[in-house]
Amino acid sequence: MIRNKYILFAFRLMVGGVFIWTGLLKIFDPLGFAQNIANYKVFPQGISFFLALFLPWIEVICGAFLIVGIFRGASSLLLSGLLSVFLVLIILTILRGIDIDCGCFGSIGRKIDYKLILMDSVLLFFSLNIYLKTK
Amino acid sequence: MKIKKLFQQAASIVVLSFIIGFSVNFSLVKKYFQGEFRHAFILSEEYPSIKFIFLAEAEELFSRGEALFIDTRSEEDFQAGHIFGARNIPFVEHEEEKVLNLLPFPLDKTLVVYCDGSECQSSVELAKFLHEHDFRDIRVFFGGWVEWVREGLPVDSGSEYDSQ
Repeated sequence: MIRNKYILFAFRLMVGGVFIWTGLLKIFDPLGFAQNIANYKVFPQGISFFLALFLPWIEVICGAFLIVGIFRGASSLLLSGLLSVFLVLIILTILRGIDIDCGCFGSIGRKIDYKLILMDSVLLFFSLNIYLKTK
Repeated sequence: MKIKKLFQQAASIVVLSFIIGFSVNFSLVKKYFQGEFRHAFILSEEYPSIKFIFLAEAEELFSRGEALFIDTRSEEDFQAGHIFGARNIPFVEHEEEKVLNLLPFPLDKTLVVYCDGSECQSSVELAKFLHEHDFRDIRVFFGGWVEWVREGLPVDSGSEYDSQ
């Protein structure tokens, strides 16, 4: 576990910044994001639709809270949870051989690949360290 | 931090996101409950040329012989079996330019696009692409290949050029 407060502050800026950016991209195109979720073929159409409406707001609110320093524990916990779910979905999608955009960056196409697993894992590491520091 | 307080804060963030997400997208939620987005996440006012059809209508268009059926599945799937008389235009994202070369049809031609069935999206993606290129009568056959075969309707195999 990393304890240096400057490094942890940098983690907060990075995780918060990434989630504010990706969340805003999804907020501006909710139907595109709903389609991205549906493409994973895990959730039915209705659930994909409703997830697409509020998930991006969780990302933006938690991202902003992390940067500002409010509710750091809850925000990093929620983002760690989201990152873990994304990781499982990405791995399952690769194993199932489905070739789709990840939907991580809204309508900006980003194919699912192993680099994405690495990126999500790094963010999860940052986010978990922020959470463990707040405990 | 106490675990109870942590979960209360997390729940507050989730509830807040629910409220904002639903309020900001209220018009979409209303449309959902009016029956939109059941087949694909496209707004009917943004894509007025696209209609979703079921087997009965697809069969009628097929028997009248006025519509052109377009199979958006891969070439291998198409060669293994397709709706009789269909053209194969596999829609691959980021390779849209290739699709344009395969579309020498008049813009008012009735086009019926299909893929495997209700879970695949390539027919919807191609329909959106066709709409953006000014085609005016696009029908997405929602049941697709799976439903067509299940009903024992006319099929063919091999490449589209074999049957010409």
